[in-house]
Parts: sequence; structure tokens; C-alpha cells
Amino acid sequence: MTASPHSLQRRLLVVVLGAVVIAWLATAVLTWSDARHELDELLDGHLAQAAAILVVQQTQEGEDDNHGEGVDAPSLHHYAPKVAFQVFHEERLAMRSSNAPDQPMAGAVRDFKAGFATVQIQGAAWRVFSAYGSENDVHVYVGEEVDSRARILRAVLRSTLLPMAVALPLLALALWWAIHRSLAPMRQLGLALGRRQPSALEPLALDGAPAEIAPMIHALNDLFGRIGSLLESERRFTADASHELRTPIAAIRAQAQVAMAETDDLLRQNALQNTLEGCDRAIRLVDQLLTLSRLESSTTPAMASLDLGSLVRRVVADVAPKAVGKGQTLELETAPDCRIAGSETLLSVLVRNLVDNAVRYSPRGARIQIAVQHNAGQVCLRVDDSGPGIADADLKRLGERFFRVPGNDENGSGLGWSIVKRIAAVHQLQVGAERSAQLGGFAVTVQARATHA
Amino acid sequence: MRILLAEDDALLGDGLRAGPRQRGFQVDWVRDGDAAARELRAQPYAAAVLDLGLPRMDGLAVLAAIRKARITTPVLVLTARDTVPERILGLDTGADDYVVKPVDLLELAARLRALVRRSHGRPDECLTAQDVVLDPASRTVRRADLPVVLSTREFDLLHAFMLGAGRVLSREQLEQQLYSWGQEVDSNAIEVHIHNLRRKLGSGLIQTVRGVGYMLLRDAPTP
Repeated sequence: MTASPHSLQRRLLVVVLGAVVIAWLATAVLTWSDARHELDELLDGHLAQAAAILVVQQTQEGEDDNHGEGVDAPSLHHYAPKVAFQVFHEERLAMRSSNAPDQPMAGAVRDFKAGFATVQIQGAAWRVFSAYGSENDVHVYVGEEVDSRARILRAVLRSTLLPMAVALPLLALALWWAIHRSLAPMRQLGLALGRRQPSALEPLALDGAPAEIAPMIHALNDLFGRIGSLLESERRFTADASHELRTPIAAIRAQAQVAMAETDDLLRQNALQNTLEGCDRAIRLVDQLLTLSRLESSTTPAMASLDLGSLVRRVVADVAPKAVGKGQTLELETAPDCRIAGSETLLSVLVRNLVDNAVRYSPRGARIQIAVQHNAGQVCLRVDDSGPGIADADLKRLGERFFRVPGNDENGSGLGWSIVKRIAAVHQLQVGAERSAQLGGFAVTVQARATHA
Repeated sequence: MRILLAEDDALLGDGLRAGPRQRGFQVDWVRDGDAAARELRAQPYAAAVLDLGLPRMDGLAVLAAIRKARITTPVLVLTARDTVPERILGLDTGADDYVVKPVDLLELAARLRALVRRSHGRPDECLTAQDVVLDPASRTVRRADLPVVLSTREFDLLHAFMLGAGRVLSREQLEQQLYSWGQEVDSNAIEVHIHNLRRKLGSGLIQTVRGVGYMLLRDAPTP
């Protein structure tokens, strides 16, 4: 079962129209009760006033005997049949309107109660006001059919609700149009995204985008940008790998072929040894390429406070056997508590590259000094060697991808410095390369801001 | 045949020197562009294998420089630059052949032989003079259809004579074509080898031009 996605347009329409209808109905209810109250007061007032006039009139004409008749209420208005009155003098009917009964409309004269009452006369509800004269011999009843009041109320209500009935469909239409128009940028965005080729990563145009959609477009463009740089680094990795692996593979192939054709055992052994060395180099190159590619595509790594001294000690311990094998002297000097913020994995890669380079590019019997020290709020790592050093022109080119310092037989990948520079950039470290003042060879310094544990 | 190899990569350079050597080439190996340009100017190499990504001077610059200096040595470019525009640029700059790494060493040797052959204006792989036929690919020599056994030097010397048939070659020229760097050359080595060739192939093939050098006669001298 798949739920169809709810439509913003439909929801907005239903909510807004519902709210309008409810507000309108509430208005109608309030109008109804308010109008009924005011109408009752007004009309009751008129009844009372009419009764008072009749009482006064009867008291003045008390002497005239026109019992049981004098039914001369003129029907001047179409509301007249709805209004009736009776005047009793000394418990006898003295005067009544033509539509009034003979008997008192509300209660008997004997147990007379002044004031308003609602009674049933010939199956219709009447509002009756009873009043009496000061000598208690004149009793007056003035009545009005309740239905007429209801009719007025209905008219009032009608004039409130009728425009709404007409306006509601129009309002719905206008709302639908307004919402449809407002949601157009979203539909356009959806279409634009749907039409995109997977490889199209240029940013979406922002002009004219409403404030609600602009953040979404910004976020999407940001995402496109990040995917773009990720793809670019992948593409570069592939291109670099296919280009840079050609030479090591060509070397492996050539050496293997030389070994196959060689008749001299010693030379064949040598060629086979070279073949293996070529394989190691290819693997190293792939590793370095992958490291660099990951560094370039990944975001900021998790940083923690760590002791650079002990990190360097671990790395040097790993590399030391190689130096010993080349008869080199490896010296490490670390000050205590050299804490900096960084990723242990990445900093290990950085330090390994530096120390490994020193061992790799220094001749047999060379001296390599590694020091970790405090220096004015900074932690400084220094790797000095007594090797041949690097010419000034070549120093500038260090860190270019695949730049190898010319004139050495080491099978470097040309990526070590790119990796060092990249990790340094991520950690905001200052890396310097120069001629070693102490040992005469190459010297690297790495400066980091010290942190406190 | 003496060729120049310009390749900065130690392992590959070693393999590219050893491979052609096994197939009878004399190989001089340089590691940067400067040295390559210098050596190509200084020595009459039969051919050169040139990497493009060389330190100090790019291979293309080397190629442009030697062609500008009117050095016609056939050059085979061996590189990792594999796109079509790069290949076109390489050939247009003056390369005679363009091979993308990695390369089969046998194919490389065959391409070098083809380059050398074409540079001497010959369509055939086999070289013929009188009743002697030399096959550079199999490094065999036949006289009147019978195989003749020659030493490496004797073969190379005959090959050099065959390529330069009809021209007088000085002893120095022959030495330059036969010996790579660091090889000891006895002062009378060429004379000894020529003596052996005459013994094995007949005295009418190589003639001495006194005071100048030697010359191979393509056709038997009419008596």
C-alpha cells in the first residue's frame, strides 16, 4: 500500500476555506443571538408602551359602555393581523382588536399577573403583555405573534449568510488560484531537478526565488558543489592512477621480460629482484594516491588533543628498522607534554611521510635528527638530515603532484609532499622546508599551536 | 647498433637498457633532458628512445631542440602521455614513432630496427651486399645461403657497414657506432674485427681506403 503524497495545495485550500466557514458560522450564531435579544427588547418595549396607552385611554373613557365590541382596530399594515389587543373593564371585555379572542389572552382577569407571557392561541405562539389601570378595574392585554419575530430574525440571518453562500465558491476559486501561483516556484524547481542530467552539477539559478524556497536552492547548490568536488577528486584519482601507474608497470614488465630472456643467473636474479621492487613501488603509489584522494574528498576530520611527542615516537619506532638497515643514525628528542589538536591517524601519516623521506633520500650512514619542542605557545616538529639536500629551485616545487626531486634513484611516488601539505592545511599547520643548518642536508619544520590537556 | 635511452625512472631505465642489450643493441642511458639533448648532438646514435616527462628539460623540448639543430637521429618517444592530442604533438614535434608505456621489449626492439632501416632508406628488414645477407631481427648472416657464425662485435660491424654501404666509414665513426660508454676500445679492435669478417665472408666485401677508412661494396668488383 503506497500512500499518495499529500498535496500542499489541497491542504492549504481545505484549511483556509474551513477556517473561513467556521468564522462565518460563528459570526452568524453571534448575530442571531444578539439580534434576537435586541429585537425582543425592542418589540417587548413596544407592546408595553401600547398597553400603557390602552390603559390610559380606557381609564379616561371608563364611563362609556361599549362592552364586548368596539372592535375598531384598523388593519393599516400587513403586520396588523400579527398584533392583537384586549381591554377589560371591571372584568368585562370593553374593547378588542378584530383578531383577538373574547377570553383574556393571558390568564384570567381574576388571577391577573402583570408583565410578559408567552401563550398558545389557536395553535400559534403569542407574546402577550398584560397591564392594569391604577384603580385595578382596567385590564389590558396586548399580544404579538411570536412567529413574526422569528421571521425578522430569519431575514437578518439570511442577509448575513446569503452573501457567504455566494462568496464561498468565489473565495475557494481565488484561494486555489493564489495558492497555485504561490507554489509555482516549487513546481518549477521540481521540474528543473527532474530534467537534470546526473552529471549536471552547475548551481540552480536563484533569481526570483521566493524567501521560502531560496534556502532550499542554497542547500541544493551547496550539495551540488560538494558532489562536484567529490567527483572531481575521483576523476583526478582515476586519471592520475592511469597515468602515473604506467611508468611503474612499464618497469615491472620490462624487468620481467629481461629476466625471461636473461641467460646469466646473476643478471636474471637481479632483474627478478627489480620486478619485485617495481611491484612494491606500484603498491606504494596506489596507497599514496588513495590517501591523497581521501584527503581531498573528505571533510574536516575529528580532532582531539594529543601528545605530538609520543605520536612521533611511535612513527619513528616503525621507520627505524629501515634506517638501521641503511646504517643511518636516527635520533629523536621530544619535550614532554607537546599537546596539539589534530587527527591522530592523519598526523601519523604526515610524520611518517617526513621521517620516511629523510630515511629514503639520505645516503647510507647519514644522520637524521628528529625533535619535538615547545616554542612560544607553539609545538614544533623538526626533521633534519645530513643527506644531499634539495636545490632551491626544486624546493619551490615540493608539493606539486608527482614532482620528484631529480637526480636520485629512489622510487618515490611524488605524492608524499602533496599529502603532507594537504594534512597540514587541514590542521592549519605551518610547514617549512629549507637547508638543514645543523646537518647540512634537508630540514622540515612543522609548527602547530599548542593546546592544554 | 648504438642507441640512446633517455628515461628518468631508475627501474624502468634499467629494464629498457637491459632488454635491447639482450637483443644486440648498445645502449647509453641518460636520466634527464639536458643530457639527452647534449648526447644526441655529440654522438651519431642509430636511434633514441625518449621519455617525455624528463627532469631539467622536457622530452618534447629535447626533441624540438635536436630537430632545430638538424639532427636526424630517429627518435622513438616512450611515454605515459597517452591522449591523442599528446601523440599528435609528439609526432609533429619530430618523433619518428610514439609508443605509450608499458611496452613489450621485443616490440620496442622491432620498432627501433624499423626506425633504423627507414632512416637508411631501406624497405626490407634484411640487408644485402654481394652474396651476403644480414637479418637484423634474428641477428643472422648468410653467405651464398649458408649460415655464417659471427661474434656480436663482428655482426654489429657488418651491420654498420651494410647500413652505410657505398660510403667510406672512418675507424672513429665505426667505434662510435659499436661501443657504448665505459667500454674499453683497443686501438686495433676495428682492424681485428674487419680481418675476421674478411676471413669469414670473403676479402672482396670490405675495402680499405688508406688514410680514410673502410667501405663496403654492395656489388662485387668487376675484375
